[in-house]
Amino acid sequence: MLLRLNQASRIIKSGGKKVTLLDTINLDVKEGEFISLMGPSGSGKSTLLNCIGMLDNFTDGGYVFLEEPVHSMKERDRSKLYKEYIGFVFQAYHLIDELTVQENIETPLLYKNVKSSERKAMVADMLDRFNIVGKKDLFPAQLSGGQQQLVGIARALISKPKLILADEPTGNLNSKQGIEIMELFSELNKEGVTIIQATHSESNAAYGSQIINLLDGRIVTE
Amino acid sequence: MIRNYFKIAWRNLMKHKVFSLINIIGLTIGLSASFVIGLMIYYDATFDTFHKDSDRIYRVVTDFKSPDGEFYNSGITLGLEEAISENSNFETVSSFYIERPSKAENKAKNIEFKWPNFVIFTNQNYFNLFEYKFLAGNEQQLLTNPNEVILTDKRAADYFPNLAPSEIIGKTLVYNDSINTTVTGIVENFTQRTDLVFQEFISQPTLLQTRLKQEITEKNWSSTNSNSQLYVKISKTADLTIIQKRLDDLVKEHQDEEDLKFGQEQKFTLQPLVDIHFNENYGTYDWTKTQASKSLLTNLALVALFLLLLGCINFINLNTAQASQRAKEIGIRKTLGSSRKQLVGQFMGETFLLVVISAVLSLLLSNWLISLFSDFVPEDLSFELFKTPIIVVGIILILLIVTFLSGFYPALILSKFNTVSVLKNHLTVGDKKVKLRKFLTVFQFTIAQIFIIATLLVGKQINYLLNKDMGFKTDAIVSVYSPRGEREISKKELYAEKLRAIPEVKEISIGGQPPASFSTHSSGFTYIDGEKEINSDLQFIYGDTNYLHLFELKLLAGRKIRNDTIKELVINETFRSFLGFKNPDEAIGKSIVIGENSIPIVGVMANFYQRSLKNDIKPMALSGDWYGPERSQFQAVHIAFQSATSENLKTTLSKIENTYKSVYSEGEDYRLVFMDETIQRFYNRERKVSKLLNWATGLSILISCLGLLGLVIYTTNRRVKEIGVRKVLGASLIQINSLLCKEFLILVVIAFVIASPIAWFGVNNWLQDFAYKTNISFWVFLISGFAMICFALLVISFKTLQAASANPVDSLRSE
Repeated sequence: MLLRLNQASRIIKSGGKKVTLLDTINLDVKEGEFISLMGPSGSGKSTLLNCIGMLDNFTDGGYVFLEEPVHSMKERDRSKLYKEYIGFVFQAYHLIDELTVQENIETPLLYKNVKSSERKAMVADMLDRFNIVGKKDLFPAQLSGGQQQLVGIARALISKPKLILADEPTGNLNSKQGIEIMELFSELNKEGVTIIQATHSESNAAYGSQIINLLDGRIVTE
Repeated sequence: MIRNYFKIAWRNLMKHKVFSLINIIGLTIGLSASFVIGLMIYYDATFDTFHKDSDRIYRVVTDFKSPDGEFYNSGITLGLEEAISENSNFETVSSFYIERPSKAENKAKNIEFKWPNFVIFTNQNYFNLFEYKFLAGNEQQLLTNPNEVILTDKRAADYFPNLAPSEIIGKTLVYNDSINTTVTGIVENFTQRTDLVFQEFISQPTLLQTRLKQEITEKNWSSTNSNSQLYVKISKTADLTIIQKRLDDLVKEHQDEEDLKFGQEQKFTLQPLVDIHFNENYGTYDWTKTQASKSLLTNLALVALFLLLLGCINFINLNTAQASQRAKEIGIRKTLGSSRKQLVGQFMGETFLLVVISAVLSLLLSNWLISLFSDFVPEDLSFELFKTPIIVVGIILILLIVTFLSGFYPALILSKFNTVSVLKNHLTVGDKKVKLRKFLTVFQFTIAQIFIIATLLVGKQINYLLNKDMGFKTDAIVSVYSPRGEREISKKELYAEKLRAIPEVKEISIGGQPPASFSTHSSGFTYIDGEKEINSDLQFIYGDTNYLHLFELKLLAGRKIRNDTIKELVINETFRSFLGFKNPDEAIGKSIVIGENSIPIVGVMANFYQRSLKNDIKPMALSGDWYGPERSQFQAVHIAFQSATSENLKTTLSKIENTYKSVYSEGEDYRLVFMDETIQRFYNRERKVSKLLNWATGLSILISCLGLLGLVIYTTNRRVKEIGVRKVLGASLIQINSLLCKEFLILVVIAFVIASPIAWFGVNNWLQDFAYKTNISFWVFLISGFAMICFALLVISFKTLQAASANPVDSLRSE
């Protein structure tokens, strides 16, 4: 079992009113799964991804990741946990504009205190694997959307995570680029990486081994 | 990791060139000022600290208190040394007497030096107190016999050129034509900073062969001469209060009846060795150097501090304002696993990089600044001083502090951003941060505003001082002083006679100092007014019968003195009223007693300022020269020119000098002083303050406006869309501009409101030094406030007009 959500909720106050973003979610994710989260805008897909990725917290309920209780963890341990096991891919790529392709991919390793020579080797491997060696010294602004997302995925993979969280990874891409990215995800999944993606598109959702529908912060069918 | 940070820092610098430039300019100005001023403070604070046990060495000085005020003398009465030399509280007691010989001759080589300076008569104790390095000669039994002299290597090179120190030992040096001395030692000049600038040390017994013989043997307790110096090194266990008590007792023992009558008190005090460099009451030995002033250094340090603070504030302001642009990077870094601590470290690193760049620029600038501020910077302070280890450590410390001050808050703000909202572009800059930025901007402008007001008011006062009617003629008058060796009145008369032949010369008078000068002559007097007796001090100016006329001093009653040597006085109005006469005529014919003589008052002159306008007008009298040729008070020939224009000034001056050389043989001693220059010199310090303020004002306005510009650029960029919409809805250029300016002008106005009372208080405080001052006018505040607003408006409009005139289609298209 990779992670388990037990009656997990997120309720925030906005303008004096309580707003329920996630409502008593129960979810088990096993290693090697490829889950697609679907639902209309505002249904809580991104919030759920953020909470699973420990960028946000559930305000209620239990969250166990690799048998460790995340809900009762200190910030520092939590950060250690996600640094080690989780990679993010965003709709808007979110590369650091001031860094080159190579440096962007390298950054997570810096925060894991990997040695310089080792870092170089790992980044070179990754560039090789994604066929972007020729672009390693370019800045994000010099790349197309699809290429940027490739870099984004490469960066997510560099620290060899067990889980990749992808928030509408193809939302800013055209259909051809989208298909390429999805192909890549299913390939990664076959290699054993667990993936949870949020998406609007039925066809993208179909790449997953399981589809979960959300509506108003609740899981509708499983 | 570190390299990665610096790479990002560098790219960020280059990406936001304008902001980086503003930050660097601000910090560079602050750092340059700090470096140079820090150097000056270090320079002045390290005088005479190198002597062994320098913290236990004191100079004994004398303070006088009288009804007229307090006076300070760096010397002591000659009797004091004997009275304390056996005291066990003192490890060493060393006296010396400063006496400038008129001549020093190396007869063998026929080398002659007139008036050698820094010559003292002293003994072995002096060398026990201050350790000199002996280059030649016996270090034991120093200067015990009469007619021995020790020279520094510099002075020895003058007197005995091309001789090694050991060869000079035993050579003869003749002082004042008749005193034969033998050189018994050569010492090395102090290589570190010192106020002990002496070059020749003649054995103390030799004093008996000079004109001072009588004074030296009498060891009189009633007279104090600043040439008679006394140093002591107190023992390790000595108690300063006990020593002071002993000194006070000595004063009591030797109290003079006469002094008691005039209400004069005397007190010996111990002046720490390091204080000599700063304390203007007692002065240093080299009169040609302006003395270091602690208050000036404090003011400079404050200026540096403020400039540095302004630079830091700019940094904080701009970086928090820019925060949203960095937000995305921060959010991403956080999702990639960066801790907050790491982010803070990264931003501090960026700040440090900027500070280091500024520091390098500042070091380059400092060299230039040192020459620009030569008025303030001591002559021999050089760039080399930057290599001193303690200065290097100091600089690094400053850099770290500045980095922390300017970097820490923005780093904290930036690293606090919530990752999720940043990545969703939901970033809202909190109200609190905007308030802080406004507060900092107000702070900056308050400082700038205070400087502007102070500059204008100080300038106004200085203008007032320089243009105020002194009560006598000050333009087109010069005074030519006689050489030290040729004081005879007959020579002056001959000179005056010859000068009369020059057509450009209008009036000539032989006399003492001009009506206003740096020196005062005063003496006690007694006036018996029927039953009560008045004892007090009276100041004197000395002049011949033409003195009043030449300086256009107004005679209110009576007449001028009949001739130069008759004992008559012309008194000023202040003295007239001091004596209690209702009107000038009443004073005529009355007499006052000075010493043994009863001297009649024959005239009353109008008041004039005897010194700078810092001082009140004191009771004063004009007298002739009745002390006889030995103690003549006439030192100068005053010359008034026909016209005040400077057309022929040069030729006239050269005629005066040529005449001088035809009369006097010591032509190189020629000293001509313009009256109006003397008056300007009264205010040297004030003019320095004014120059300093001008710079401080300029720089603080510059930094503040740059900071404002940064903020304006940021704010307008954020409001581009709003501007576009408003324009589409029909707003005019001016409407939009005033909308954008309003927000900032309010800050400037608030700053003005805060600054005005502070500036008023400060300037009012400063003006207390002056007996005569301009009032602090309301319009000065208005003008400076208006000027500040103009500056701000100029800066703001630079950006807002550009934004307001942009085509709205461009800003709205992308949405």
